[in-house]
Amino acid sequence: MNLKATETKSPVLGEKPYYRAISNEVELFESAYAHQIPILMKGPTGCGKTRFMHYMAWKLRRPLITVSCHDDLTASDLVGRYLIKGGETVWVDGPLTNAVRTGGFCYLDEIVEARKDTTVVIHPLADDRRILPIEKRGEILKAPPEFLLAISYNPGYQSILKDLKQSTRQRFMAMEFGYPSKDLETEIIVHEAGIDEDLADKLVSFGKKTRNLKDRGLTEGASTRLLIHAAKLIRAGTGIREACEVAVSEPLTDDREMLNALSEIVNSIF
Amino acid sequence: MQTTSKKHQEQLWEGLRNNLTLDLFDEEEVEEVLSDIKSFDPSLRQKALALCFALSQSASGLVPNVLRRVKAAAKSLSPIETERWITQAFDFLESKGMDTFFQFLSKTDEEDLEKFRSLEGLHLHSVISLLETYICGISGISMKIAAGDETYTDTETLYLPRVISFYKEAEKNFLIYKLLVVYQWAQISQGSLTPEPRILRCFLKDDSLSYPDISSLFSSFHDPELAVDLYAVLDACRIENFLARELPGLMKLASQIKEDLCRQRPEVDTLTDKTALVEGLYQYHLSGHVRGRLSRELSEALTIADKLKTKDACSDTLDSLFAMWGSLSHMQDEYHRPVFLYPGVIDPQKISQCQQARRKSLQEKIQSAITKLVNLPDVEIEPFLREKSKVHVPMKNQPKKDADYLLLKGRLFELDHESKEIIHETGIFADGILLDASSVGQNCAVISVMDLIEDEKPGEVQGGIKYDEWDFRRGDYKKSWCSLFEQDIAPGEEPFVDLTLKRYGGYIKVLRRKFELLKKEMKLLRRQKEGDDIDIDATIEAYADMKAGLAPSQNLFVKLDRQARSIAALFLLDMSGSTKGWVNQSEKEALVLMCEALESLGDRYAIYGFSGETRNRTEFYKIKSFREEYSEAVRKRIAGIVPKEYTRMGPPIRHSSRILGEIDAKTKLLITLSDGHPEDGDGYRGDYGIEDTRKALIEAKDQDIKPFCITLHKEASSYLPHLFGEVGYIVLDDVRKLPSRITEIYRKLTT
Repeated sequence: MNLKATETKSPVLGEKPYYRAISNEVELFESAYAHQIPILMKGPTGCGKTRFMHYMAWKLRRPLITVSCHDDLTASDLVGRYLIKGGETVWVDGPLTNAVRTGGFCYLDEIVEARKDTTVVIHPLADDRRILPIEKRGEILKAPPEFLLAISYNPGYQSILKDLKQSTRQRFMAMEFGYPSKDLETEIIVHEAGIDEDLADKLVSFGKKTRNLKDRGLTEGASTRLLIHAAKLIRAGTGIREACEVAVSEPLTDDREMLNALSEIVNSIF
Repeated sequence: MQTTSKKHQEQLWEGLRNNLTLDLFDEEEVEEVLSDIKSFDPSLRQKALALCFALSQSASGLVPNVLRRVKAAAKSLSPIETERWITQAFDFLESKGMDTFFQFLSKTDEEDLEKFRSLEGLHLHSVISLLETYICGISGISMKIAAGDETYTDTETLYLPRVISFYKEAEKNFLIYKLLVVYQWAQISQGSLTPEPRILRCFLKDDSLSYPDISSLFSSFHDPELAVDLYAVLDACRIENFLARELPGLMKLASQIKEDLCRQRPEVDTLTDKTALVEGLYQYHLSGHVRGRLSRELSEALTIADKLKTKDACSDTLDSLFAMWGSLSHMQDEYHRPVFLYPGVIDPQKISQCQQARRKSLQEKIQSAITKLVNLPDVEIEPFLREKSKVHVPMKNQPKKDADYLLLKGRLFELDHESKEIIHETGIFADGILLDASSVGQNCAVISVMDLIEDEKPGEVQGGIKYDEWDFRRGDYKKSWCSLFEQDIAPGEEPFVDLTLKRYGGYIKVLRRKFELLKKEMKLLRRQKEGDDIDIDATIEAYADMKAGLAPSQNLFVKLDRQARSIAALFLLDMSGSTKGWVNQSEKEALVLMCEALESLGDRYAIYGFSGETRNRTEFYKIKSFREEYSEAVRKRIAGIVPKEYTRMGPPIRHSSRILGEIDAKTKLLITLSDGHPEDGDGYRGDYGIEDTRKALIEAKDQDIKPFCITLHKEASSYLPHLFGEVGYIVLDDVRKLPSRITEIYRKLTT
């Protein structure tokens, strides 16, 4: 009975989240929002998809509801369910319904993790009908113009089972996110972790080298997020090599040989 | 003393020659053996000669064979180690006889030779995979590392010394290895080894060459060796500077090593003028100072080298080299090439060969990519590109200002300098139009030609995918024995599928219904003890019960029953020559029916065919992959299935297991359709073929794959139980039954 989806509501007028645009994604998002087109974001983990959503929600002054999808996520987890309170059944809105009612942004993170029958719930919301039928209450909610649906997934872990259905994909405007360029990534790390530029530059260089090893022993290279973790540890006083090891190398792989190679790379850069 | 040993040696030569002549008859063959022995390292020659002589006393016919073994061992061992190895062989020959001797000789694998390696120093083979991963991470390209007599690179493989024993400590020796690979990569990435033709033409007197490379440049010098070495040491200053920027950590550690290396160098005033110049520059590059008194030329050279530290382009190094070269004309003495452990040498010829081979293969690839594009119908160009290149949205490639483009089938392909030259030269742009950037609008999406061709997996283009083969006589695998090539099948023209559908029309309807019954829908189970959601009806009932004073039921939840079918089936089709006629026809019809049935059931399936000739060429034809839809293209491919050559079953089964291994499914089926024994040209028949096939099937079972064979052979039951285990096969004596039986079999297998 527990609500397994996590909900985060960002305050409408909170602090400005830091986001550095890589390309014209901000303009595209605004344009899609103005024309009520739902948005699909793809890209490797830790390259800023979620942060981008936070930023856009802040910029457009809308509340953001994030749902991290997992394979046990049911349609009622999204739409809502009856609970029993004080001897009576009470209807409780799910995060998706909530977002539709309040005209907020609903962001379904890692949508491919959700079961296929769950994904279908968003279909009527994601085309020109923009409605959310709530079966159990016999209610049909019409989404206000402010409502926006965004989903994300990582095409890197492609498996036949975890691919989006065409009928789902073809309702969205798709934006591909990649790792930022060297200078941008340095700037981001400097800002996020507060370390000096020279060190950030070296961290980025390390990150880039781990990305070289993608599909040659690593399933994915180090994300900007991992590099920021390392940078934060360094700032807090951890030794550079140790920080790289615990924050970057170890999370990436368990393979001894690969870890040795990564630590040789760290030693060569720092 | 020396004369006696010389005399003794002469006797050995003579004796060996005599013994060999008795057995080999062929004078040329004898000479070959003798010159083979002479080609060994001097320290080995004596031992090898003695061994051959001893052997020739009893069985001179075996001498050439043994020599080959010795050569193989000498390839991976140092001369001293090889000597130790030969001594051991000798001992066996004399004490234990021929059998043990030959057993020992036949083991020239890395592992067996391991114990003859000297203990001192760090051996390349123990760190090679670490170094390869390391340099791949640093550079972003996969480079091979191999042992070589000198340290150099041909731009694709990095050749390193077999052993480094400069220090006692292994870590320090490893650091030298790291420095060597990094340095060679830097040479490649900084263009030292492959200056652009545009730059080379400025330095070359002869501009008639269509592709000048570093080799043509250096052969224009009257003393090429000196020129190459001067270029290498001058360029080292530039490279070093680049590395210090790129890998500051490594270069900090390197400074101690370079100091140590420099300490062992000779003083320059003890050397000839030319040698001193190179040596001096080398020492200066290592440590920033030179041992011994400097000549005027050397101090001028050092000033030039100093300036190079701030330069980025290899043309700067070439400028400096030519500037310096003029002042060397008065040096008449000999040049003795100094030996450098770090950073190695430049070998222009090897680079040139490698570049030419690369260019040739690039040309072939571009040609085949363009041919493929041209042959595609317009509608299919999209999936082809999607498969081959990632067109990013929204950050898609935009036309660059200075590039050239090929307009083909309404698509714009970006050409780099080299591919443009190749396309121009061979005229392979078919009906495409070459454009320059000015005539290309800024808003069209472009596709890089390199994207089209670079996706092909390495290893599959040249030598195919290697598979081991089980040799039951040896009780072991023959490593990487078979090469398998994945190929596309040429689509057949006749409407085979439609005809079959018409023929089996009524049966197909029944078939579909039968298969649809197998489908399990996800069901919502009500009134469960636990589940995803509250069963409102049950809850209200329970609530009412509670109010009425009854004990409420505890089954208040609904649960989704998720026992969906999770089956992946791979059909492997024997396309050997013996299936010609009815068998082939029936196999194809069976496939069509199977596809129809599986489409209605929704199970994932793939169809591959195989045939081939000898271990070097097993062909694996893709008819339908797991990812593909049952499309018109697949139907055409089914129509295009024709009998080919032999039936080597091991490699295709192993490859199918690999494909199934990448699929996520609870039940994995490998269904083989065949008409007889495994048989291939090179001894792959009888027990050998059956045992290898059996081993491949056991490997498949180990990977949780269920193999099943449908065979159209009357006598097959004699060997099939052995192959597939007692239940995994069925023999059909009448091929015409196959189409109707196969679907039945599948139904039974999966329920």
